[in-house]
Amino acid sequence: MSNIAGKAYAINVITPLRWYLAWVNKIIFWVALKFPQYLKGLITLSLIHYARWVIIGRKQFPHLHPDQPKEDLKYGYMLFFSNFNGSWDQYIDSFTFSIPGGLDLFWKWSVRYPHSVALTPFHDYIRYNQVETNHYYSAYPLATSNDVKAARKLKAMLIDFDNKWHDAPDAEFQKHYNKLLLGLQHDLGDMRPTPIVSMAAAAVDKRRVRDLRKAAQHTVAAMEEM
Amino acid sequence: MGSNVSGKAYALTILSPIKNAYVAGVACADTVRDQLENWNLLQNSPMARVPQTYLARLFVLDDVFTQSLPGAGALDTVSDFLPAVPDGIRRAALPTPDHLKSKYLVFSIDFHGELEPYLRGMWQAIAPEIQSVWQHCYGFDAVSDAEDFVAYMKKCQLTAALFFVGSNDDPLGEQLKALYLKQEFSRFALESQGLPTAELKKRYQEFIARVKPTDLTGPAWTPGQYALLKHSDARQEAAL
Amino acid sequence: MTKLQTASLDLFDIQGDIVRPYGRFGFPFARYVFFNIREGTRGRAFLTAILAKVTSAATWGIGPDPIPKPLATTNLAFTYQGLKNLELPRATLAGFPEEFAMGMKARKDILGDDGPSSPEYWDPIWRKSRDKNRDLDVHVLVSINGQSMAALEERYQWLLEAVAASDGGVVQLSGHRGHDGAENLPYQEGHALLEDGQLCTKEHFGYTDGIGDPYFAGLADASERVRGRGKQMDDGTWAPLATGEFLLGHIDEAHEYPAAPVPFLLSRNGTFMVYRKLHENVASFDGFLERESRNFSGSKALLKAKFVGRWADNGAPLTTAPDDKSKAEWDARFAQASDVEKDRMLSDFTYDDDMSGAKCPFSSHMRRINPRASLEFTQGDKPGAMVRSRGAFDTPGALVNRRRIIRRGMPYGEAKDRTSDRGNHGIVIMMLNADIGRQFEFVQQQWINYGNDFKASNDKEILLGNHDKEYPSRAVLPADPDGERAPYFLRNIPRLVETRGGDYFFIPSMTALRLIAKGLVDPT
Repeated sequence: MSNIAGKAYAINVITPLRWYLAWVNKIIFWVALKFPQYLKGLITLSLIHYARWVIIGRKQFPHLHPDQPKEDLKYGYMLFFSNFNGSWDQYIDSFTFSIPGGLDLFWKWSVRYPHSVALTPFHDYIRYNQVETNHYYSAYPLATSNDVKAARKLKAMLIDFDNKWHDAPDAEFQKHYNKLLLGLQHDLGDMRPTPIVSMAAAAVDKRRVRDLRKAAQHTVAAMEEM
Repeated sequence: MGSNVSGKAYALTILSPIKNAYVAGVACADTVRDQLENWNLLQNSPMARVPQTYLARLFVLDDVFTQSLPGAGALDTVSDFLPAVPDGIRRAALPTPDHLKSKYLVFSIDFHGELEPYLRGMWQAIAPEIQSVWQHCYGFDAVSDAEDFVAYMKKCQLTAALFFVGSNDDPLGEQLKALYLKQEFSRFALESQGLPTAELKKRYQEFIARVKPTDLTGPAWTPGQYALLKHSDARQEAAL
Repeated sequence: MTKLQTASLDLFDIQGDIVRPYGRFGFPFARYVFFNIREGTRGRAFLTAILAKVTSAATWGIGPDPIPKPLATTNLAFTYQGLKNLELPRATLAGFPEEFAMGMKARKDILGDDGPSSPEYWDPIWRKSRDKNRDLDVHVLVSINGQSMAALEERYQWLLEAVAASDGGVVQLSGHRGHDGAENLPYQEGHALLEDGQLCTKEHFGYTDGIGDPYFAGLADASERVRGRGKQMDDGTWAPLATGEFLLGHIDEAHEYPAAPVPFLLSRNGTFMVYRKLHENVASFDGFLERESRNFSGSKALLKAKFVGRWADNGAPLTTAPDDKSKAEWDARFAQASDVEKDRMLSDFTYDDDMSGAKCPFSSHMRRINPRASLEFTQGDKPGAMVRSRGAFDTPGALVNRRRIIRRGMPYGEAKDRTSDRGNHGIVIMMLNADIGRQFEFVQQQWINYGNDFKASNDKEILLGNHDKEYPSRAVLPADPDGERAPYFLRNIPRLVETRGGDYFFIPSMTALRLIAKGLVDPT
């Protein structure tokens, strides 16, 4: 199992909603989308690649086959999937401290939600309702959300610079090259593997790398024998 | 009211009900889970071969959780305003145990583009892997080609109430090229610091010829690359 | 019976080293002595014997019946194994956090203690602790600070007598490195360095140390000390940090009591301490500074200041004295200032006017270990500029207030030959916090050895980062977005500081010490 793919962490949280309140939750999300200033805290935190909330009414679980029993649920459910950077602790801490109001707004319709302050009950609630990911993939495990954003900006500015100044006379070139570096000065960090997220995760990773290396060696050895 | 689309990015949420049966003495749900875990032992995820996939996760949802932690919501505590709470009301305020009748394979993907082309691309790239995982799901027996697959997935799809894009909605190739350029250019900038202008310009032009910023088919990061890269792996690091 | 001095904290219950950096209070000599508890009963008897001289945080010299300032102070701390050997019950031990129970050596991958910092290169005492022979585990730290060497020696001899009286129940551990290749010294020494024959607060790289000190609720002199040391608020004021960030048994920034073992009396007014012996590679430092200063467009002193965020000679903050000219003006003002004003000049600043890092770089030591409100930031409109994202977070310091650390400690050794990295000189640093994982380990792993929160990908903190030759480290010294100059890149940063040992300790309150010594700890 793994909730980790390089620098990205996959969190899945499923919480029950009183079915007659699901619509309130949906409206709140709709408002948040319509008025992006409500998401300012989320955007400033800059830790998230992509995140989504899904509300499933109690009769809305997919039903595909007559053999499949129909769900008979008492609650509707809210699913929360996020791809973020850092460890679980860092993520939950960051959110609780920077946007406690926002967290409450999204989750207070869920049954037995303890509000985001104090911290430990909120931690416990998320942990309690979290489902482990069995398989997680990131197209760029070495990149955080900050890196992806910085990269796009860098590519655009580099291409723009190149179009204008690729063959410029030396003095002009130097002047605008300096300007380019200045404009990108917060986007030039070196990307390397993630710090270990936890000792447990690091141990699993070590074994996996070791096993794959052994398998590769066996393959090479087998091929050499042929 | 909600939307799966934010700019050009798409949030695909799939819940596929798993058959309530067993195969070779192992429950279908457990078989599915085991298959997913096997993907963790591969050099790279099969999803790396599915075009335009930013991030993807899969898990088996066995059941919903019954709440037992204390709550702080008004609805959990409204009965407290009564001076005396009759037992019936007190018991009714407790969360009810709730259960799913089937287990679900949950598949959540963030990708670039539109739904149907994406799903077709997925089928074309990794149909055998898809089949090995989905074969134990209700209704998947009828899926034999890309169009069936698209139809099946649409039946399993849920709509997001809120889809938040923290990075951007560029095509994956753009993101990977951009990351490659960021890594390479930051190195270039570092190495060429302090050079006299003529030399700097020459090296810059060589750099551009090497990295080809506008050519998406040129050098770039590949999807899922460096997934297993660790500090100890000097050979792979050298390629970074 | 004398009335207790008025303070919100139970100063008589808290050990003095938590609240007071002895080095700045006239105790320039330190000795850190480590023991193994061989047997519980005699171990506890030893504790009882030395309890009388353990220094509390009570204020010296005030009131009608003043507590005299001691000639030497004594304080105690215990590792998890030490508490176990003192026979604390399992139910209590189980309540200690995982990282404390594991100890620092086992956490090396999280802390980045690799390469030359890895345990195989540590002082023998730390190498052998928690290794094969349990008799060599570090259990107890007794730290002595003296106003004079004579006072320190006298206290040390008194301590040794108590050890002898334990009749083998407590054994002193040797294995500290010293000058000229000594490998088996019986204690770790620390002392304030001399500059021009005068005691100073510098360390071996030449930086003025020991200025910052988090200010938390309950401490005295709020109006003088909270600015710059507490937490920055939206309206420009400063507030004390919650006591529970540094003392167990008090409410913390999350409006709850920090996780702590039971019984309550054991943990209340105690804290956790991270002891690290950090060797300083003076030759690499001097060479690196020299090399980079040739290309850097400012003075060498300015470049040296950029590594840390303060000017080395007197600690002037770069944010208020960002170049040579303004530094000269700052110095003139400083020379005329009263003590209180001096303190303000050193500590009362924010990064609000330096959100792009042009004055104090994002990878400088100061900015990484205490970003103040600067993490509430986002890209500005001007290329290369970052701006405060005001109001985005619940409080400006939302991401920082729970990552603050109290630092104590002293330099050790002499850097006799500055052309060599070898030798025995550096600092002994003790970091105090209520939660080792959330405070020390987080800052070490995420802010010192990594840079994503500063939008710097993997770039490490210049001074303390675990730079290595295999993957050359770099740091960006940002330039002013309004100017014409490009940022300056530091390249191939050598590892300037290496870990030579240490562990995680619990500093109990005086009450807890008495309970432990009497063998009465019981969470039933």
